[in-house]
Amino acid sequence: MIPLLKRLGLNTYDVDKTPHIEVDQEKCLHCKDKPCTISCPAGTYEPSPEGGIIVHYERCLECGGALVICPYGAIKFRFPNGGIKYKYG
Amino acid sequence: MSFDADLIIVGGGLSGLSAGITAVREGLNVILLERGEYSGAKNVSGGRMYIHSLLKLIPDALERAPLERPITKETYYIFCENNRKITFSFEERGKRNSYSVLRAKFDRWLASEAENLGLLISYSTNVYNAYREGGGITLETDKGSLRAPLVIDASGVTSVVFRSLGLRRFTADKWMLGVKEIVKADLEEGQEGEAITVVNAIKGVKGGGFVYTNKDTLSIGFTATFDSLPKGEVQAKDLIEAFRERMGIKGEVLEYSAHAIPYYGYNNLPPLYTKNVIAVGDAGGFLINDGFTIRGMDLAIGSGIIAGIASKKIVESKTYEDTEIYYKMLEESFILKHLRLAYNRFSVINSSLSIYPEILCNVLSDMFTVSEERRTLITDALIRLREKGVSLGKVVDDLRKVML
Repeated sequence: MIPLLKRLGLNTYDVDKTPHIEVDQEKCLHCKDKPCTISCPAGTYEPSPEGGIIVHYERCLECGGALVICPYGAIKFRFPNGGIKYKYG
Repeated sequence: MSFDADLIIVGGGLSGLSAGITAVREGLNVILLERGEYSGAKNVSGGRMYIHSLLKLIPDALERAPLERPITKETYYIFCENNRKITFSFEERGKRNSYSVLRAKFDRWLASEAENLGLLISYSTNVYNAYREGGGITLETDKGSLRAPLVIDASGVTSVVFRSLGLRRFTADKWMLGVKEIVKADLEEGQEGEAITVVNAIKGVKGGGFVYTNKDTLSIGFTATFDSLPKGEVQAKDLIEAFRERMGIKGEVLEYSAHAIPYYGYNNLPPLYTKNVIAVGDAGGFLINDGFTIRGMDLAIGSGIIAGIASKKIVESKTYEDTEIYYKMLEESFILKHLRLAYNRFSVINSSLSIYPEILCNVLSDMFTVSEERRTLITDALIRLREKGVSLGKVVDDLRKVML
């Protein structure tokens, strides 16, 4: 199995200076299952040692799933101005 | 209030470009906004296009479009427990009804066709909000605001215009995640291509996989409803690799991509028109899965063409708020007719697909096993159905839905 970061490394990104994804850490602290950490294909959401979520927005594959994967509505998502550039698609 | 154009199209994928090409041919003053640096930069699709709509838009497309291979072989893989698997194929050599495509190449080509016809495309323009103002729609982008009396939302499944107007409620059970890899492959030149549809490859998740042959690569993908992902045995980020290993596909991986897929079905389609705005392609939720064909691209191009013609009528009569004409045209077209036709099979696939493969494998295993005990096929099938708690009534009902 090719590890995620190596696969993401195959892609070309033009990463925005500011994140296009924000999470409501207050809600994350109360969230036990953290489904976003399982459902994101880019591994964008990582549990932090304090019980919140670290957002690796630079990994985003722009699938749009952020709009449905959090049952508590803690993810605020818009598409980045730069972001991914698919060569095959 | 002044407007920047008669019509602004949000999104330069298949549906937006088809709408743009049609509207420009109809003589409208159009601006298309594309958030990618080029068309296709943000697009991911399974990679198989049924070409009837494309040929309607561009009649000589077969000679010019960057298509990969004609698909003339359909293969199904149905995985069961205990290393069992059903496979079957259907071949139709010489058929030219669908082609494998790579969207970063294809959309770029279609965009250049559109530009040659006079469509103004503004690239790297990210629409992130829309609201109603002064008899039209104002679109907020990273390059400033633009306004038009008529807007086509071709922004894909996330439908930024309808969403901003409060007309979309997305849920995890009605969206699928598609993950995909492009794998380098040593394939013979000029040969026809194959589409492989795979059922039950990964346990727990609700969805399936596919493999399409391109010119010198394979498109391998796996789709699963977002709500089923936390229940699966593999996390979303590793789904495609688990599927590739299950299929035994080796070769250099060239790209890893992901995209959400609208999975509504005819009875759950979102609003397709509102005052001053109409939705095309994925933004309208136009996706069909009837077990035989899984398609969105021909619906995207088809709905784009219809939207372009409808726009001309709306602009001509200056009745920008009265966009229902688009819906009426959709109803008369193959788009809503096919979506309606597919709905029965679509619902069977979604409710019952997880139960039948294992039963089928059990029956086949019995038939291919010789011991002193032997049953008729019907007795065995009934026993195997009963042990999984499936009544004959349900089977008949499902069969009826599959056929009708």
